[in-house]
Amino acid sequence: MNHAHHHAGGAGWWPALLALLVALPYLAAGLRLHRRGDRWPAGRWLAAAGGVTVLAVALALPGAPFALHVAGHLLLAMVGPLLLALAAPVTLALRALPAPGRRRLLRVLHGRPARVLTWPPVVLVLDLGGMAAFYLTDLYALAHAHPAVMALVDLHMVLAGFLLAVVVAGADPLPRRPGLVGALLTLLVAAAGHDVLAKLMYARVLPADGGTPAEIRLGAQVMYYGGSAAEVALAVALMAGWYARGGRELRRDLRRRSAPASAPTPAPR
Amino acid sequence: MTATGRSVLAGVLIGVGVAAFLDETVFHQLLHWHHFYDGAGLEAGLVSDGIFHAGGWIAIVVGLFLFADLQRRRITVPKRVWAGGLLGWGVFQVYDGLFQHKVLGLHQIRYEVDLLPYDLAWNVSGALGVVVGAVLLTGRARQVEAS
Repeated sequence: MNHAHHHAGGAGWWPALLALLVALPYLAAGLRLHRRGDRWPAGRWLAAAGGVTVLAVALALPGAPFALHVAGHLLLAMVGPLLLALAAPVTLALRALPAPGRRRLLRVLHGRPARVLTWPPVVLVLDLGGMAAFYLTDLYALAHAHPAVMALVDLHMVLAGFLLAVVVAGADPLPRRPGLVGALLTLLVAAAGHDVLAKLMYARVLPADGGTPAEIRLGAQVMYYGGSAAEVALAVALMAGWYARGGRELRRDLRRRSAPASAPTPAPR
Repeated sequence: MTATGRSVLAGVLIGVGVAAFLDETVFHQLLHWHHFYDGAGLEAGLVSDGIFHAGGWIAIVVGLFLFADLQRRRITVPKRVWAGGLLGWGVFQVYDGLFQHKVLGLHQIRYEVDLLPYDLAWNVSGALGVVVGAVLLTGRARQVEAS
């Protein structure tokens, strides 16, 4: 088995092309906002640039040794999608699209498929199921024999990771966004599932095609600890969003409490 | 939730998180007393370990943000934060020491030594945390009015 060609062609031009396909619409929409005088936050620009770069790097990484493949997987399925979710692409699209396009996008967002796809249990099955199928079954060997299968696997990983990041920590509107406790429980199940799968890879020396047992065990540990780091980042993103929302509410309350007292009737003194 | 309740909750989350973090870094990573995987445990043990590993990290992040929120609203009840912290840490320690180590047989504290002093130190320190935490939880504490 030739381990040098893990990601459907290893390196080459197509990861960069794929990154451009994600980046160009975002860039066009953001510039459109700026031209009409609206500001799109710098943090979201940075998150988008970071996310696209991480995806391109992940796709260009060589697939061997196995630990490096796992590092690429973590970037592709967890780090990149989190950054893209923080870039709030749907919010940007809603603001940049002309009215008919916006209506069409809203219809899609409120449709049944979007509601089902962003329901936490479905997101968890897509995310953990994809990872279990790829690393614990023969799909790993199949994907390495057929570049098209690998491309589909990669696409699934990015999209499932993006759904998880959007549901847990994203800034985009959802048909039914879970509350703080729901988002935390979703993250807990995803993180625990990820840890268990990484330990199963270690315990059963899977995927069988990944290399020597020592290489596979090293990769499984990279999966375990790298995954934990990405999960901490997800938790921080979620809680930072909660903290910022609380701060905005506090400031609103403060303004409301000070404004009516001073404006109509000056406090008797 | 009241300021007192939120203080306890922030403490519990930070306590559980710190216990899990110490277990992970000090005993697994630095001392190498525990192993990544023993091959001896049941697969139920893997799930239990996975939930606690992930839960520990998430708990510490959530606990710190809750604490920061209490501080910015100036409604922290420090004694209750300590109560929660010691309870969380102690309960985790005893759960890990008795249930995960002994019942599930996931891993032991250390290998190729007499386990008794280690088990005693592990579980007694945890039990002490629970007792002190419970005392702090039921004792009098200054209430802070939400502004």
